Amino acid sequence: MATGLSAIFMANRPALLRFLRARGAGDDAEDLLQDMWMKLEAKDLGPVSDPLPYLYRMANNLMLDRYRSATRRERREQDWAEGAGGVMADPNEDIAVDDRMVLNEQLNEARAVLRDLGPRVELVFRLFRIEGVGQRVIADELGVSLTTVEKDLQKAYRAMLTLKQKMDTE
Amino acid sequence: MNGAEAMINEEALGWVIQTRDPAFSDWDGFTAWLEADPAHASAYDALMLADSELDSLVPPEPVAMPPIAANDPGVRARHPLRWIGGGAVAAALVAAVSLGVANRSDIYSVTTRPGETRLIALDDGTKVELNGGTTMRFDRKDARFAALDAGEAAFTVRHDAANPFRVTVGDAVFEDAGTVFNIVHTDAATRIGVSEGKVIYNPQAEAIALPAGRALADDAQGLRVMDIAPAAVASWRQGQLVYSNAPVTQVAEDAARSLGLTVQFTPQVQGMRFTGTLRLDRDPERFFAQAAPLMGLSAVRQGDAWLLKEGNGPQN
Repeated sequence: MATGLSAIFMANRPALLRFLRARGAGDDAEDLLQDMWMKLEAKDLGPVSDPLPYLYRMANNLMLDRYRSATRRERREQDWAEGAGGVMADPNEDIAVDDRMVLNEQLNEARAVLRDLGPRVELVFRLFRIEGVGQRVIADELGVSLTTVEKDLQKAYRAMLTLKQKMDTE
Repeated sequence: MNGAEAMINEEALGWVIQTRDPAFSDWDGFTAWLEADPAHASAYDALMLADSELDSLVPPEPVAMPPIAANDPGVRARHPLRWIGGGAVAAALVAAVSLGVANRSDIYSVTTRPGETRLIALDDGTKVELNGGTTMRFDRKDARFAALDAGEAAFTVRHDAANPFRVTVGDAVFEDAGTVFNIVHTDAATRIGVSEGKVIYNPQAEAIALPAGRALADDAQGLRVMDIAPAAVASWRQGQLVYSNAPVTQVAEDAARSLGLTVQFTPQVQGMRFTGTLRLDRDPERFFAQAAPLMGLSAVRQGDAWLLKEGNGPQN
């Protein structure tokens, strides 16, 4: 394990536990923390410059993974119950031609929605969401305030999530 | 959806955006919000899942700069900004390029002397800053190619998903995904730090994605991925060297490259590590007077070289 990371982990164990509980881990919080510890020990991460945010992010990702697999299982079970059953196809392989057309249509629609938000909002969203650039950096580079970037992102996110929801219910 | 739910969703979206930011650090505030109501965690999870599903909907595309609107003078081009602010580096803009011995006539090499920096502007808008003691190769016919044979360079890449920029470093390849990054290549190690965007290490093999704030090192200890403060990446361009728990030997190498010095160290110093910021001073005497005590070392001049040894004793 990286030097110092174990000490940081131990010192902040109660706070991380509290975070995991608040995140909805319930009785599993202790076990999840143990998993984290094992992962940290197994991996030589090298020096981590900002250890505490790193640990929180790791805990948050664990919870996201849990939620994701639970949701996937639920959807699968629902498909079974509805008789659609069988093997869930990997979404990446063998996309049928008409599905491909639908996908292309959706991509075009998403592009149009982003474009309609205006060039700055689109740029901010792409930089943040696709390129992983932080809000502060975006604000500095575009020469606008951090608040502007935050508002742009919220606007873009709302539009994209609404679109996604619409597509899912279609 | 009722009013309360809408409110929670609105707040959750705010936290989705904040926690997705690579610089996010307010985990206490986030914990407090989650604890206020169990529904908060569910709303956050659902939105994070929806967010991850946006990947298929918004494929990466080259980021086109919007035209500057007359009523919005604040919007400026993204990459050029960095260069105008480059000060001393920008002064060296006109790089005298030496033609290296190459098999193909369109490949040329550029070498900087220790202590010298140089800026190479490629045709596609990509900029490469060479630190001292560095040798690189470029291709006149292919602006998306660069090879770092030795030394250190910072890259500000104009991103084009259809034709990614690739840097060859020894046997490794780094491929950009819209990026500012820095690579160091010595006989013993290759290190890369990413300050913006994303870089893919060996896309055809390991394909390790390095987003902003991540660094990769390949040295005697093997291949490792770690965190790095984005501001610390290529800090030599601002006349600084920024470290977090770095081996002192690496600090010495960097200083040698940036200042054109030969640095030696005693065996005891080899295992030591350093966290902090060093100001690059062209005058070696002044540089070591400032830097050595910060590292808990003393520096002694030995002919043309500087010897770093343990202890805060007086210099010389």
